Amino acid sequence: MAENEERLRRTMMFVPGNNPAMVKDAGIYGADSIMFDLEDSVSMAEKDAARVLVYEALQTQDYGDAELVVRVNGQDTPYYENDVKAMVKAGIDIIRLPKAESPEMVQQLEADIIAAEKQFGLPEGSTGLMAAIESAKGVMNAYPIASASKRMMGIALSAEDYTTDMKTHRYPDGAELEFARNMVLHAARAAGVAAFDTVFTNMDDTEGFYRETEYIHQLGFDGKSLVNPRQIPMVNKVYEPTEKEIRNAKNVINAIEEARLKGSGVISMNGQMVDRPVVLRAQRVMRIAKASNLVDEEGNYIEK
Amino acid sequence: MEIKETAVAGTLESSDIQIMISKAADGIQIDLQSDVEKQFGDQIRSVITTTLNEMGVTAAKVKAVDKGALDCVIKARAIAAVQRASQTTDQPAWEVL
Amino acid sequence: MDNQIVDLYLKDAATKHDWQAFLESLGINNFAEREVDQIDFTIGIYQAGELVATGSVAGNVLKYIGVCNKGVTSGARFNTIVSELVNRMFAKGVYHLFVFTKLKYSESFQHIGFSELTHSDEAAFLETGSPDVHDFLADVPTVSDQAHKKVAGIVMNANPFTLGHRYLVEQAATENDLVYVFVVNTDLSLFSTAEREQLVRAGTSDLSNVIVVNGGDYMVSYATFPAYFLPSKDQAITYQTTLDARIFRDVIAPALHVTTRYLGTEPTSRTTSQYNQVLNQELPPRVAVKVVDRQVAALSDQPVITATEVRQFIKNGSLQDLKAYVPDTTAQFIQNHLVTLQTRIQKGMNIDGN
Repeated sequence: MAENEERLRRTMMFVPGNNPAMVKDAGIYGADSIMFDLEDSVSMAEKDAARVLVYEALQTQDYGDAELVVRVNGQDTPYYENDVKAMVKAGIDIIRLPKAESPEMVQQLEADIIAAEKQFGLPEGSTGLMAAIESAKGVMNAYPIASASKRMMGIALSAEDYTTDMKTHRYPDGAELEFARNMVLHAARAAGVAAFDTVFTNMDDTEGFYRETEYIHQLGFDGKSLVNPRQIPMVNKVYEPTEKEIRNAKNVINAIEEARLKGSGVISMNGQMVDRPVVLRAQRVMRIAKASNLVDEEGNYIEK
Repeated sequence: MEIKETAVAGTLESSDIQIMISKAADGIQIDLQSDVEKQFGDQIRSVITTTLNEMGVTAAKVKAVDKGALDCVIKARAIAAVQRASQTTDQPAWEVL
Repeated sequence: MDNQIVDLYLKDAATKHDWQAFLESLGINNFAEREVDQIDFTIGIYQAGELVATGSVAGNVLKYIGVCNKGVTSGARFNTIVSELVNRMFAKGVYHLFVFTKLKYSESFQHIGFSELTHSDEAAFLETGSPDVHDFLADVPTVSDQAHKKVAGIVMNANPFTLGHRYLVEQAATENDLVYVFVVNTDLSLFSTAEREQLVRAGTSDLSNVIVVNGGDYMVSYATFPAYFLPSKDQAITYQTTLDARIFRDVIAPALHVTTRYLGTEPTSRTTSQYNQVLNQELPPRVAVKVVDRQVAALSDQPVITATEVRQFIKNGSLQDLKAYVPDTTAQFIQNHLVTLQTRIQKGMNIDGN
């Protein structure tokens, strides 16, 4: 989806769905995506209340340009159906399916979204979806899941449940997640959707957080799921392009502009044809540079 | 919608409001406790009353403890409390949401 | 998990040790079995492996609430813990909750929706939810122009209703326009609350100006007041009876225009005489105290009538002896339910108390 390619998705901030203070303030931290959670952070007795709270907040609160995501309860729970209906009606951007293990689960969600869009008279296709991979089975089916729906925005690795399923737990070096991270990332790239890394919960280990974020940035993840707004500027810092990357990107953008002015169907630079992945990367770098205030309005690098 | 049993929604934490709804013979009586009662008491009561009216509740006793909730939170808690009190949590009132 | 509410299982020795150590660091030192064993569930919040907040519920009473505010907004954790306890009880369908706490914390509870029923110099008694004391009082039957009538009140356990109780009620009934008999609502006695209430009603049905009322949660048997946060036992008894007396004086009596409280003597019970002593200190001048000596009621050749002795007769099956001590209505009930009552005694129901 062209629209998907336009968005920055460095940070996806988790917001417990039954916490009014956090739901209310979720928009002020500058997260690229805000993920309201109706699942694990909400106790069974409060599922109904959290659903209504997130719904009402979405009607009235200003979340700026952030992409709005809701993690609904799993398809094997009695809350799932009403969660999906309410969030589609609320006009959420993306519904996140937890514990995705098969493409059929994604297709089921898609069918439920379509039904809800019809029920509430919304234009078909207005609600996107994403899937969280949280088990060995989910990892093995990552590509079929990532390519199961044309509404698919991205897939995310969720390490807490995954490491439990793998009979291990999380370690500082992340070796236990290596395979899953690469599977999720490859599946996402092959399917042309976004890839999100898992959360890092130890707020006191800033160094560990930077190490992990640099690592997943190096692998090629679009971004990371976050549990605390304090992590947002840290991720953004890691994702900042270098001056050299920005200058290169600027050149590519200039070449595109040249080609457009000349009416040429081919973009060329330094005697080489510029293909699509390079164009997309350049656009992405410039978007991040703008978001990070590293360039001015015209896209010129601001010397620090 | 008929109030069948006493029910509560919301917490006593900052930015929330705890709303307890129980049966009443007629009319909506609201007992509100809020740090901003003087400034916003009427508005809070009005959001609760409007929400209850929209849900077709004509008789209820309401006890509310406000901890600085926004209108959307007040509305959400009122809806959740009414649905619990009327035992309709499984069938959300889509037209009111 | 950090800063999330978790269940604490006090059956686990290590958990209980941490929990107790944390509360002790906050000045709570009483972990007597009688207090701790009543706890239904306990929750807590950990921060970096350390317990930083906890709270428990026993029946409909919040207990052992302790919070460390280091490094967080003052009061935030307190609200989180109390909120969670309250919501869990509401989810169970228990909508009416109490807390007994040090006086200095009364305000914190009032800040989150609790109403103070009464307080003494060191302790406060608060409630939240519904039905509250106003609902309770609204349900108590009244007579027309009650404000200008002479109204008396008696609080009794009546386990079971004896001729001694009857004499006390009779005295009050002759001396007043209206008498409320509040039956203590605590099921720790040989006779259940419903049975005791039924026997009091039956035994006073001929007295047209007597209204029998279930004491609800407000004529609390002083034995059930938790006192874990007070340092000494003596202080505990005084605090418990003081709170009980003050609720009657400040909340119950004014609403029902009760101007006199009648007390029976219980020469064989030390706690009752202590209790009466506190009532004598606390109630006047707002509520007069009138002590009716039960020995007057006894037949000249009989010992003092006490419910304790009546229970002894039940245990021994001495129905003939019992008839001199209780009204016919009570005797009839005991005769009809003798086996049930004796079974309760055999099963370990304590019959030596009040």
